[in-house]
Amino acid sequence: MRIFAAIALFVLWLVLSASYNLIHITIGAIIASMISWFTPAGPLHVRRISWLAVLGYVPWLFGRILKSSFHVSRLILHPGLPIAPELIHHKTQLTSDGELVVLGNSITLTPGTITVEVAPGELVVHTIDKSSCKDLVNGLYDAKVSHLFLAKGDQ
Amino acid sequence: MTWLAISLIVIGLVFLVIGSIGILRLPDVFSRAHALSLTDSLGAIFVLLGLAVYEGFTINFLRIIVVLILVYLLNPVISHATIRAAYRSGLRPSKKENK
Repeated sequence: MRIFAAIALFVLWLVLSASYNLIHITIGAIIASMISWFTPAGPLHVRRISWLAVLGYVPWLFGRILKSSFHVSRLILHPGLPIAPELIHHKTQLTSDGELVVLGNSITLTPGTITVEVAPGELVVHTIDKSSCKDLVNGLYDAKVSHLFLAKGDQ
Repeated sequence: MTWLAISLIVIGLVFLVIGSIGILRLPDVFSRAHALSLTDSLGAIFVLLGLAVYEGFTINFLRIIVVLILVYLLNPVISHATIRAAYRSGLRPSKKENK
């Protein structure tokens, strides 16, 4: 498994690198193998994902990012700075590592909400005002993320 | 094509400026992180898309797209790590009531 990670990292290096002489390619190979060697092969249980759902999820998330970016821009530029920051404890029925990673990163990517702490079944989320966390509290994010992963029996 | 690239980059720069104003105006580390995620998610994507359009279909286009994907994968992780460190070291958000 580590050798695949090393090859993938080396290809990434080759794509991003602008100079293809011996010294740069050697440095890339050394760094790729070191990263894959020192990364612990942890017990990360990732369930199978449905790529069709991912195709729908990415544009949806980008639309959310656009919408809440305009909202946060308006808050910042507003003379009265009408923010109401608070920490909310969000209960979720998602428990697997993969689901929590996607949910937490989606929340953080959307301006106006940031994941502070993650535990199976519960997230601590900081939100800049009431309307930013509306869709999180009513469970829209949870529903969208749970559709990305195939049911437990399918793995 | 150049004008499309210029307008994309200018839109990105507008978001970068708004994000910077936000970092200056907002009261505490938690709220400032919101301004930062605004810079990351929209400022970076528009500037990089503008550069990609300007570049056309070359190897640099591929590089910019790879960087774009990496920005979207890594930025939430970094913001989350910063905010979690602030939270665990005892900082709590300041309560500024809505006026």
